[in-house]
Amino acid sequence: MPHNANGIILRISDLSLSFGGLQALNRVDLDIRDGEILAVIGPNGAGKTCLLNCINGFYHPYEGSVLYREKDLTTLKPHKIATLGIARTFQNIELYSGLSTLDNLMAARHIHMKRGALPGCLFFGPARREEIAHRRQVEEIIDLMEMEPIRKKVVGSLPYGQRKRVDLARALCMNPSVLLLDEPMAGMNVEEKEDMARFILDIYELKRIPIVLVEHDMDVVMDISHRVAVLDFGSKIAEGLPQEIRDDEKVIKAYLGEE
Amino acid sequence: MPLETLPQILRENHRTYGNKIVAMRVKDQGIWKQYTWEDYYTKVKHFCLGLISLGLQRGDKVSILGENKPEWFWAELAVQSAGGAAVGIFTDCLPAEIKYFVHHSDSTFVVAHDQEQVDKLLEIKQEIPKVRKVVYWDPKGLWSYTDPVLISFDEVIGLGKEYEGQHPSLFDELLDQGRNDDIGAYCYTSGTTGLPKGAMLSQRWLVDSIREWGELDGWFGKNYEYLSFIPPAWITEQGIGIAATILGPMITSFPEEPETVQENIREIGPDVLFFAARLWENLNRMIQARMIDSTYLRRLIYRLALPIGLRVADLENGNKKIPVLWRILYFLTYHAVFRQLRDRLGLSRAKAVYSAGAAVSPDIIRYFKALGIEIRLFYGSTEQGVMTMPRQGDIRPETSGPPVPWVEIKLSDEGEILIKNRYPYEGYYKDQDATQAKIKEGWFCSGDFGYLTDDGHLIVIDRMDDLKELAGGKKFSPQYTEIRLRFSPYIKDALVIGSPERHYVTAIINIDLDNVGRFAENHRVAYTTFTDLSQKREVLNLITGEIVKVNQTLPEWTRIRKFVNLYKEFDADEDELTRTRKLRRTFVEDRYRDLIDVLYSDKEEYRVEASVTYRDGRKGKIETSIHVNEV
Repeated sequence: MPHNANGIILRISDLSLSFGGLQALNRVDLDIRDGEILAVIGPNGAGKTCLLNCINGFYHPYEGSVLYREKDLTTLKPHKIATLGIARTFQNIELYSGLSTLDNLMAARHIHMKRGALPGCLFFGPARREEIAHRRQVEEIIDLMEMEPIRKKVVGSLPYGQRKRVDLARALCMNPSVLLLDEPMAGMNVEEKEDMARFILDIYELKRIPIVLVEHDMDVVMDISHRVAVLDFGSKIAEGLPQEIRDDEKVIKAYLGEE
Repeated sequence: MPLETLPQILRENHRTYGNKIVAMRVKDQGIWKQYTWEDYYTKVKHFCLGLISLGLQRGDKVSILGENKPEWFWAELAVQSAGGAAVGIFTDCLPAEIKYFVHHSDSTFVVAHDQEQVDKLLEIKQEIPKVRKVVYWDPKGLWSYTDPVLISFDEVIGLGKEYEGQHPSLFDELLDQGRNDDIGAYCYTSGTTGLPKGAMLSQRWLVDSIREWGELDGWFGKNYEYLSFIPPAWITEQGIGIAATILGPMITSFPEEPETVQENIREIGPDVLFFAARLWENLNRMIQARMIDSTYLRRLIYRLALPIGLRVADLENGNKKIPVLWRILYFLTYHAVFRQLRDRLGLSRAKAVYSAGAAVSPDIIRYFKALGIEIRLFYGSTEQGVMTMPRQGDIRPETSGPPVPWVEIKLSDEGEILIKNRYPYEGYYKDQDATQAKIKEGWFCSGDFGYLTDDGHLIVIDRMDDLKELAGGKKFSPQYTEIRLRFSPYIKDALVIGSPERHYVTAIINIDLDNVGRFAENHRVAYTTFTDLSQKREVLNLITGEIVKVNQTLPEWTRIRKFVNLYKEFDADEDELTRTRKLRRTFVEDRYRDLIDVLYSDKEEYRVEASVTYRDGRKGKIETSIHVNEV
């Protein structure tokens, strides 16, 4: 795939991040292009989640930049970045566990709601219309992710695999233009993984937005991603097509150790 | 104007009720969407004409493969309007099974639900060359499929609209050509024995027999609510769902997803409904489990109320007069407890409530009768439709009721149930021999063993082939015992074994994971998997206790002496159950032959190394040891 300046949505350049003496990210360069599923893989502690956290503003790198459509994200707050259209899911699922699935998803629409608290409380006229429009969008996501049976269930009572699904649906409800997924399949059984892979592909097909996928499961990565980047000890050691990565010696070493 | 076929009656409904009366509701995106008779008729018309523009001919067969959704009903009626027949296929069928149905029925089109079903069809595309188009109605995930055999439901409707412009009177002409001899639907037998056979149902069956049934049970003219969720591939849904809702007319509601049925039933509160025997058992099991988890006070009230309900139910069933005091007590408990319970189950309005296909434990019928719900456990088959029907106010837990007016029943010397029917099926498709083999001297041989009571109620015991002889020549029905075992909340399935060479009866038990799991939790039994849980000492004792209870109700020689808890559940994907969840006895007995041998030996343990098939077709291995238990 030839590099070209056009079609690059997110440009990460020279990104470095450290915690005290620990170098979490070391001069990482990575482009995320329009309409691709990019997998970021690497052994434990390689800095994959740190990379996502830098993109969406949880961490601020001490060096380097994250450019989103020519706009520098490195100094922005996470909620600002979210309103720009970058949505993410979390490795450890960060949902409102006391609310229903539906309420969790409606909460994600909050950044698109324009009416204030008072009209919202009175639920009258424009506020009501707005609520209905948002609910419709949420219902479309529920349909897409096959969550009808858990629509009204309290999230805290759901099994792990379904909570992961709610987490992804919530990111989707923000109507994002870039989707960051942090280990969406961790801790799932084979059937749940297959479902999740199918949902990710469905989302990609429907929205055609770039998806950054941090994942451990190599089979899944090889199956659904267009491009793979490999991190090891905070540095990018390889980048390329899944097939190239599979045969890359540096990658094999990073995963299996040296002989 | 003749009114011999369902499409003709649909047209009549459209003329009479138009946009004024709702015909269907479907829950989509959390909202109940409505379709009037006008909408129903228009969809059918356009889909029919769309298929015709794609080459559908009179007499063609069209397979339909999907969940209960309006599209299924529209498609079936559209096919019938064109003088064709619909072939229903169960959604959980594997590609090889689908191939058999589509191929055997010579279907020229397949109407499929979604990506899951389309994927299966594309897998077998080469083997079903007669199929011109595969129509899907849920486009989710199919956006980038480019196979030319695929076309969406809406596209076909669009083609139909165009075609109507060119041939404005064609649809009416097609309907007028319909006769009651036309075959309207194919229902494949579930294949407990051998390959499934395609029973042909005529419009006469669909219209006349169902109309008589409706009159018998008083469904008509009341605009009753019906919730459609039993598979339309099954003859029962063909009768109550597709035909009766048009004849009624009734309002058909479709649940959002199969998993949301329980919720949706509550929202609709259907008047007419059909639950398979299993579902009644599950409901009962669920109530029992919820009561166990409930607060002390609630449990107490429930325990006080239930005996009153049961007592009154018994009096009513025995046709005895109910003393005034009991009437008052029942009135109070009904309003204090049972009414709320019924509402929770979505059965608050239930009037005509059915079950069939497998025997329901008399205890279950008695239990629901106590709640004021009369389950009519009728006797029917794919070939003969409804044959007996319990009448209102005369529900006896152990019988299937007297024959319906259009059916005559007698017993052969061996006790086989023989049928004469005014509305029988039209034979098996492409299998004249099998059709003939079922007829003896003008009577249809059901293959079921049963007897008639003095006042003409039929009691069905079991399939003739499934009756077992024990050493000493005494006959017994394993199924009879199995059903009673299944009434225990802790037993999900059971296989009861006995034969002339064996001196006693044994059983293979499937524990109910939910309820036994809860039991384990309450008794601080730590477990990892189903297999592990099933072999815990405490669980074995629990099951022993349940079997002892059932044994007490059985004659001495049919009592279970030894049993094992199986390390896995019986599964339709492994051919152990049919798609309607009936046990394939011969197959299962053969599969677990070694295990059964151990039951008739002195061994106390059995080591298994077995393969299991997962839903996606992959195989896995289980290694474990099983305890053999004496009762």
